[in-house]
Amino acid sequence: MIDWGLAVKIFYSGLSAVFSSLAILIGAIYAFGKILKIIEKKDQDYA
Amino acid sequence: MLEMVLTTGFMHLTVGNLVMWLIAFFFIYLAISKRYEPLLLVPIGFGILIVNLPLTHLMEEGEGLLWRFYHYGLEWEVIPPLIFLGLGAMTDFGPMIANPKTLILGAGAQFGVYVAFFGALILGFNVQEACSIGIIGGADGPTTIYTTVHLAPHLLGATAIAAYSYMSLVPIIQPPIMRLLTTEKERRIVMRQLRPVSKKEKILFPLVTVLVICLIVPKSAPLMAMFMLGNLFKECGVVKRLSDASANELMNIVTIFLGTSVGATMSAGRFLKWDVIYVFIMGIVAFAFSTAAGILLAKFMNIFSREKMNPLIGSAGVSAVPMAARVSQLMGSKADPKNFLLMHAMGPNVAGVIGTVVAAGVFIALAG
Repeated sequence: MIDWGLAVKIFYSGLSAVFSSLAILIGAIYAFGKILKIIEKKDQDYA
Repeated sequence: MLEMVLTTGFMHLTVGNLVMWLIAFFFIYLAISKRYEPLLLVPIGFGILIVNLPLTHLMEEGEGLLWRFYHYGLEWEVIPPLIFLGLGAMTDFGPMIANPKTLILGAGAQFGVYVAFFGALILGFNVQEACSIGIIGGADGPTTIYTTVHLAPHLLGATAIAAYSYMSLVPIIQPPIMRLLTTEKERRIVMRQLRPVSKKEKILFPLVTVLVICLIVPKSAPLMAMFMLGNLFKECGVVKRLSDASANELMNIVTIFLGTSVGATMSAGRFLKWDVIYVFIMGIVAFAFSTAAGILLAKFMNIFSREKMNPLIGSAGVSAVPMAARVSQLMGSKADPKNFLLMHAMGPNVAGVIGTVVAAGVFIALAG
């Protein structure tokens, strides 16, 4: 007997975990990219 | 004399053993003659051959040599994470950091995993088996093995062989789907050259990724942590010896144990079943849908994006690094010889690896 309830739960949890984790990663990449740029700019200003 | 003959393997050979020998020879032939994933198919083929030699007891629990490889290497979850350590040390995340949008394509290409998952359920597999079959669509051998050992170890041989076979067949499976779902005009889209990525960004990436992914899906930690540790070795530039060891010596050593252990699970009694044929059918369904989903998602993203991306890079979301990215490059350059898509396709390609590990983590967390 197939547990369709569990199957559907795995489906939506899986897809949402994949998309949300990669979306957060995208945000993180943009964020640390920006922060690094600001730091580099400040370093250049000091120099 | 008769007694001595009876102690030899000849008297205990079965038809199943002979069929498995043929399969073993076929894999070894494919590896040596056709160069299909030789690093894995040679040890897998040899593993199949020797495990189907009667009276050798190589897979006898607690005693057999191959059982020890399998038990301590795979059941103890040692080998797949070590493979990921090596993969991390060989992976350049630069193209993905330069164009983070491509991460979404790596996520979209996981769609086939769930198509195969439901397909397997409809064919009568239980939830754990369906998870192991579905993950083949991620086109990631070590993740497939890791998931199957956790959820349906009796299917290990079939899922591992299906994953590695289809990975090597990516240049044959993907192009017809890519042609079917894209127009000539779309295939000619030229993408802007990627920006250079600084060393600091490359060092921060594995640190941030391991935090984000392992917090969201803790069960993915063994694979993801090792993947990112390997990448940190590579990018930090101060542990060249560790980076080289992970990418070369360690990777080669664990590949030997991985291959022979997987081959060793393929005794005639375990492998010659209808279920195995279904696994192979669902595996290719998963691959096809993952390829299609990546391409369609790229086309969908183009609707909202000012700067269009070539949808051919979407198919690279099925991991299979770097084969799938090379196929995108080949198809793009066929449409326009000046089109250079390889680096753009490497983004979704490595994102696909992360996406598959996350999907596997959810499978293990909910079905394990």
